[in-house]
Amino acid sequence: MSDDKGADSRPGQVRIWDLPVRICHWGFVLLLPVLWWTAENSEMRWHMRAGGLLLALVLFRILWGFVGSSTARFASFVRGPLAVIAYLRTIGKTGGKSVGHNPAGGWSVVILLLLLAAQAFSGLFAGDPFDGATGPLNEGLGIKFSSQMTDWHELAFNLILGFVALHLAAIVTYRVFLRDRLIAPMITGKRERGSLVGEMAPVPAWRALVCAVLAGGLALWAYYGAPGL
Amino acid sequence: MVSKRFLTTALTGFAAASLLAACGDSASEEEVVEVTSEETGEPDAISQRQALLEEMGDAFTVIREQLEGDGDIEAMTAAAATINANAAQFIDYFPEGTSMSSGADTEALDTIWEDPEGFAAAHQRLLDESQKMVNAVATGDLGQIGEQVMPLGMSCGNCHDTFRYDDEA
Repeated sequence: MSDDKGADSRPGQVRIWDLPVRICHWGFVLLLPVLWWTAENSEMRWHMRAGGLLLALVLFRILWGFVGSSTARFASFVRGPLAVIAYLRTIGKTGGKSVGHNPAGGWSVVILLLLLAAQAFSGLFAGDPFDGATGPLNEGLGIKFSSQMTDWHELAFNLILGFVALHLAAIVTYRVFLRDRLIAPMITGKRERGSLVGEMAPVPAWRALVCAVLAGGLALWAYYGAPGL
Repeated sequence: MVSKRFLTTALTGFAAASLLAACGDSASEEEVVEVTSEETGEPDAISQRQALLEEMGDAFTVIREQLEGDGDIEAMTAAAATINANAAQFIDYFPEGTSMSSGADTEALDTIWEDPEGFAAAHQRLLDESQKMVNAVATGDLGQIGEQVMPLGMSCGNCHDTFRYDDEA
């Protein structure tokens, strides 16, 4: 999984994304349209199943951000505002390539993950018991709280759309102006070595399993209405 | 290499397309969905009833929020009046051919037209309960208002359960 160090790496290529990071990424890409479509078409049963899956994936990615391979860790890519400014200022000269998230992209990850977490979390409490579907934790917390959550659920979705658009615009910008292909590495996990220094430091696959059990368990527990609470 | 590039292109295309689709829709989401009747070109019955029902839902939320907080009788009076007035009106906007199975963007089930007596009875129950809410609010007694929340809410839910597409988990 994540410790098959350079198993099929060709010379001149460098590993940058581990499998869990890629699964999370493309999982989000698939789930977002599904969640939007099911909500628009009143397929709330499927909406909530997909939402539970999203919650599990987000929780997993957050855990993985602490114990995953080097490029997955928040500590490796969350940088201060000065680093971001310095990076963006010199991007024309340097080309902006990096092993892992660059200082600007790191913040994109943090913001998108937080928004997805807020979206999945608010959905657990959203809805009105007299008016259609309700999230699994809607009951007993009062109308003020649940209508606030419902509002946030709508707001967060629009913010997600905005940041996804920004994310896609950045990918196009890197492709056109910096001649940097970002999508293929997110599929294969590898990119051309070029002048890049260093590579991803993988971690044993069992860590991903532990994170998956924790994240999946927590999401399932919420999905079934947090029994025992 | 070729297949990888193809996959990349396909995924980009998919992401872009889904985003565009989502954007396009969220723009119109703010307004009541505009579907004009093909035959008459008049403002659509579906939009009209949805606007009225939406307003009732919001007003009912106001009453319940006030009961949790400030207990502002004035706000609750206005809200109860809105529910009562809209309840009498929205029923006029269910012409034949405006069910979900017509393909329109609505959750109205065919049962509305298949069981007109049942629909009328459910509507009468709403009218009765919303009038009781108006009366309860007029007393200014938060206890009485609170007691009328459940019956009124049930009269909404009762109709939703039978006559509206509700894919609840």
